[in-house]
Amino acid sequence: MKRVLSNKWSIAVFVLPTVLFFTYIVIIPIFKSFYYSLLSEIPAKVGDESTFVWFKNYIKMFTPGRRNAFPGAVLNSMTYAALSIFVQLPFSLLIALILANGVKGESMYRNIYFIPVVISSVVISLLWQRIYKDLVPAIYDGLGLALPKNGFLGNKDTKLMAVFLPSLWQFVGYHMLLMYGALKSIPSDVIEAATVDGASATRMAFSIQIPMIKPMLKVCLSFSLIGSFKLFDTPWILLERSNMQLPALSMYVEMFSNHKYSYASAQAMFIVFECLAFTALLNLLFRERDDRDLTKGRGRKAA
Amino acid sequence: MKKFSLGKIVCQIFLIVWLLLCLFPLYWLFCFSLKDTQEIFNGNLIGLPTQWLFSNYANAWGEGGKISLFLMNSVIDTVATLFITSLFGFMCAYGLLRMRWKGQKLVMTYIMMGMMIPMHAALYPLTEVLLPLMKTHWALIIPYAAFNIPITILILSGFITNIPYEMEEAACIDGSGIYRTAFTIILPMMIPAISTAAIFVFLQVWNELLLASVFSSGSVRTLTVGIQQMSGQYQTDYGSMGAALVIATLPTLVLYMCMSGQVQKSLIAGAVKG
Repeated sequence: MKRVLSNKWSIAVFVLPTVLFFTYIVIIPIFKSFYYSLLSEIPAKVGDESTFVWFKNYIKMFTPGRRNAFPGAVLNSMTYAALSIFVQLPFSLLIALILANGVKGESMYRNIYFIPVVISSVVISLLWQRIYKDLVPAIYDGLGLALPKNGFLGNKDTKLMAVFLPSLWQFVGYHMLLMYGALKSIPSDVIEAATVDGASATRMAFSIQIPMIKPMLKVCLSFSLIGSFKLFDTPWILLERSNMQLPALSMYVEMFSNHKYSYASAQAMFIVFECLAFTALLNLLFRERDDRDLTKGRGRKAA
Repeated sequence: MKKFSLGKIVCQIFLIVWLLLCLFPLYWLFCFSLKDTQEIFNGNLIGLPTQWLFSNYANAWGEGGKISLFLMNSVIDTVATLFITSLFGFMCAYGLLRMRWKGQKLVMTYIMMGMMIPMHAALYPLTEVLLPLMKTHWALIIPYAAFNIPITILILSGFITNIPYEMEEAACIDGSGIYRTAFTIILPMMIPAISTAAIFVFLQVWNELLLASVFSSGSVRTLTVGIQQMSGQYQTDYGSMGAALVIATLPTLVLYMCMSGQVQKSLIAGAVKG
């Protein structure tokens, strides 16, 4: 039996095809991207000479200048991430708490709130484009309000908000579901004990429920952060390629419109590093919290 | 006690308002997919269509819109991707998590690493690798499958380690080889897990735009790329555009309505992917 399960040949048959395929399509291209990002800007075609310039592309990326939009793009993605974290997540958490504490129609609300999640963001963006172009002006007209100059999608100051709203609408259901699931898995005796002790709903939420779903909050946080850094579909369609500055859009334009492959690769690698750095940061933040709780003796006993 | 029920009423109102906000854009989409541009501009923005113009759907589906072609392409790409991720994901998970050898953990970590890396990073080198396959379905199926294998393995891993080893032992005593054991005994037990992973991958692939906009062109365009391009051509024909959007959404929506619990479970399981 043991011999069968550690037969080298059959292990290779099971594992090797996938590992090779994965290496060839995912891992090697990533390293190649990194390599290209260190080359000078001669198209990396066979036969062409490219010189190795180390981190020149990365330096260029962050050299301030009127024509360099990348720092602004990164800043925009950070603002977007902040919006997701400080608006979208608390809102989702509020809904999750209300639903998890038991209301009439709990599962109906949950099922309907989740509908936008399964719809393609392409469809959602095109739909919201119509909303911004037809419905919103009509509503503003009706209320006698003035639209911002060039409309919400054209105005420099409202663009980011205009891109954020459809995503808020789409993903609240997802975060809500994740948090709801975690809240529901809190052992009922904990909740009962708190109720007996006379904890109010607010107190219960802040002292018991939210601390107990921290692992899931971490998942939601990293989901929001990475989603913001990678953001592509919604602004790409909603703004009809007008230059909304976001890292992924900038990368795409440099790569396929300007054919600056090395520079675009540097931007792509920057997105990767940004995602990895923030994932590491989140891990650090949440580990510290856990330790502190344990030393105070208020840590989760069951978990 | 009275204050408590007041709180309940406030909660219900809040929930209902968000419910309406969730559904309204979808209702609106459905309505304008059945109107013509004239009606929309004449002020009937929100109401139900005066005439239900199913011709918009015929128009989007057939000659003008070619949605039928895009839909077919999306179906082919998605089905092929799912087949590959399910089969290879299962085989790899079996070899990695049930068989015993040195370096299992290392290989698992290696594959999981791929999950943290956004597809953006591989985009340009992939255009080189996939160049010979351009204008075929494979140009999308291959990267879709490769990038979705890690999450598939991760979702399967939770289930596959819970199956008791007695299964293999009994099969082994009965003289069944390892391949037969894996495919006729373990695989059927893994169907729920495989479908959980498959639903997640399905939604990822069906809705994907970045890779599709690079690797699918001409007659192999997927729905996302197709309707995005249509939106340029159909600036003036809102109704047909709306119809195209509805058609593109129906498959995922029907799937969700038929098995909302399963779909929610899949997306919870896949959430770690980010």
